[in-house]
Amino acid sequence: MAGEEIYYLSVTELAKRIEGKKLSPVELTQAYLARCEKFGPRLNAYARLTPELALAQAQAAEKEIRRGHYRGPLHGIPYAAKDLLAVKGVPTTWGAKPYANQVFDYDATAIEHLNRAGAVLLGKASMIELAGGMNYRFASASLQGEAQNPWNTACWTCGSSSGSGAAVAAGLAAFAIGTETWGSIVCPSAFCGVSGLRPTYGRVSRFGAMALAPSMDKIGPMARSAEDCARIFAVLAGHDPKDHGTLPLDKAAFTYSPSMDLKARALRVGWLTNAWKTMEPGVAKVIDAAEKTLRRYFPSVRHTTLPQGPFEDAANITMGIEGAATFRSLLRSGQVSELADPLGQINGYVNEQLSGADYLQAQRVREILQRKMADLFDSFDVLATAAQPIAATPLDFNLETGLAFPDPLGGIGNLCGLPALAVPCGFTDQHLPVGLQFVARAGDDFGVIQAARTFQAHTDWHHKHPRLV
Amino acid sequence: MDEKPAKGISRREFARRAAIASAVASWAPVNAAPITAAIAAASLPAKQAQQPPANLPKLSPEGQAEVEARVQAILGQYGSRFSEEQKADIRRLCTLVQPPLDRLRAYALANSDSPALYLKPLVEREKKPAAAAPAKSPAASAAPSANAPPAAKTPAAKKP
Repeated sequence: MAGEEIYYLSVTELAKRIEGKKLSPVELTQAYLARCEKFGPRLNAYARLTPELALAQAQAAEKEIRRGHYRGPLHGIPYAAKDLLAVKGVPTTWGAKPYANQVFDYDATAIEHLNRAGAVLLGKASMIELAGGMNYRFASASLQGEAQNPWNTACWTCGSSSGSGAAVAAGLAAFAIGTETWGSIVCPSAFCGVSGLRPTYGRVSRFGAMALAPSMDKIGPMARSAEDCARIFAVLAGHDPKDHGTLPLDKAAFTYSPSMDLKARALRVGWLTNAWKTMEPGVAKVIDAAEKTLRRYFPSVRHTTLPQGPFEDAANITMGIEGAATFRSLLRSGQVSELADPLGQINGYVNEQLSGADYLQAQRVREILQRKMADLFDSFDVLATAAQPIAATPLDFNLETGLAFPDPLGGIGNLCGLPALAVPCGFTDQHLPVGLQFVARAGDDFGVIQAARTFQAHTDWHHKHPRLV
Repeated sequence: MDEKPAKGISRREFARRAAIASAVASWAPVNAAPITAAIAAASLPAKQAQQPPANLPKLSPEGQAEVEARVQAILGQYGSRFSEEQKADIRRLCTLVQPPLDRLRAYALANSDSPALYLKPLVEREKKPAAAAPAKSPAASAAPSANAPPAAKTPAAKKP
């Protein structure tokens, strides 16, 4: 095995070596497991490692590859899965004390797909309790405690896919699976300096994944590059009769080949000027530079704005009511008081009081918003802006007040099920990563991949990684 | 007929009056009416009764009444679970949720604006053995109940 750089190789590069039999999946897995044991607890990146399963999967992959049966680019690649995805026989805690001993006897569909692709599960990544479904005030809102940002361990990773972000950024997995209802892939990707894809709603089955807000929940990859995200997404995507929310076969499936021409389509990029009210100066500087880079490679970049309206409110109300309904038994039983976060212990009770009429109003506004966004995407293929207006926050930061800034794009994107891809685009003066996000029309996941791949073809921010000692 | 005494009030009327009184109580200035102030003080956590919460949005009387109804519904159903500090926080959260609701409700909609919800008929289903249990999502299968706390090992969910 080579030195530390191996932990930061992309899936694409690892796959080349594994397919060429220059890299042993067993040795790679052993190396990752050793690193996870060393750094994982320090960062609170993992809820649980699964070394026996990982080694068994790696050995099986190695045997198959030796026999000439190479399954594809994830074969023998070690990864982490957010601890809300059911893995047969392995505790799945949803990051929350009331579910600390929960074990399912089946795999989530996403895990099944990864198993079929020959990927190697290193462990379950830590997460914010119930994926933040009851809301939270502090980074410590997790059964595992606060996830520390590998770029600066005094800072947080963002949530709720906290461990997934930490694991990829710290080289504790080649990729990770995260989920997003609102911001939970995009924000940790930005704070941790990794690439994260939030797919179109309905392209990846949520069967076996903890439900939060069923009309908004999505599962997606977090990895080292947009290309890696595309490869992983191609494995995850597809219709699933067990998830009633998945799109039909022809709309859900995604195929990806690196030969897909980046110039297949001259992307019309809209640079959003009203996605964030204010931006941290250090972030704004980086984002300005990213816009200039984009303009160099997408001459058609034009400024544009998101539609105005109570769309973020509609998203908030939809998520709040669906979350309270999903976890009603937790509220009614009083076990919600076992959550770690003081806000999480009570906020569900408030959401439980919101009315059905208000929910329906939100859904009627949602339908209008979908049409407005479709109109916007008649003029643009991809929208771009900062993934977050701030960099990673201190571990003890009060998130209820400090992260309470408006996020219309997050609300709109998640309410309409639009795909988004966040990629690193630079660092603040404090050497904290800054992310750029691309958002496209529902179903046009390739649009955000094409835009992000183009950006990464001309920048090297995604090759940077923290030094852990 | 089994009529109520003329001077009595129905339970619905009682609830309506109580909600109004409660809403008025929490909006009335403390020095305006000692009785309502006393009611307000009694219904609020000690700390909050002494000083009005800062940085909370100003609401219309209707909005405030709705907040109060929400607070009372929570406290009426679950009140014994909360500390005074939590009760105050619940009141704050109930207040904070009101402006988004007001903005959402104010958005003009036509009768023909349909919700982004529709029934998707179940036209496909995996074949499964006749003895198999009905499909359950992890959330449904593992959701804790008041009778069976899941802190102990949760029974494994059935594979659909």
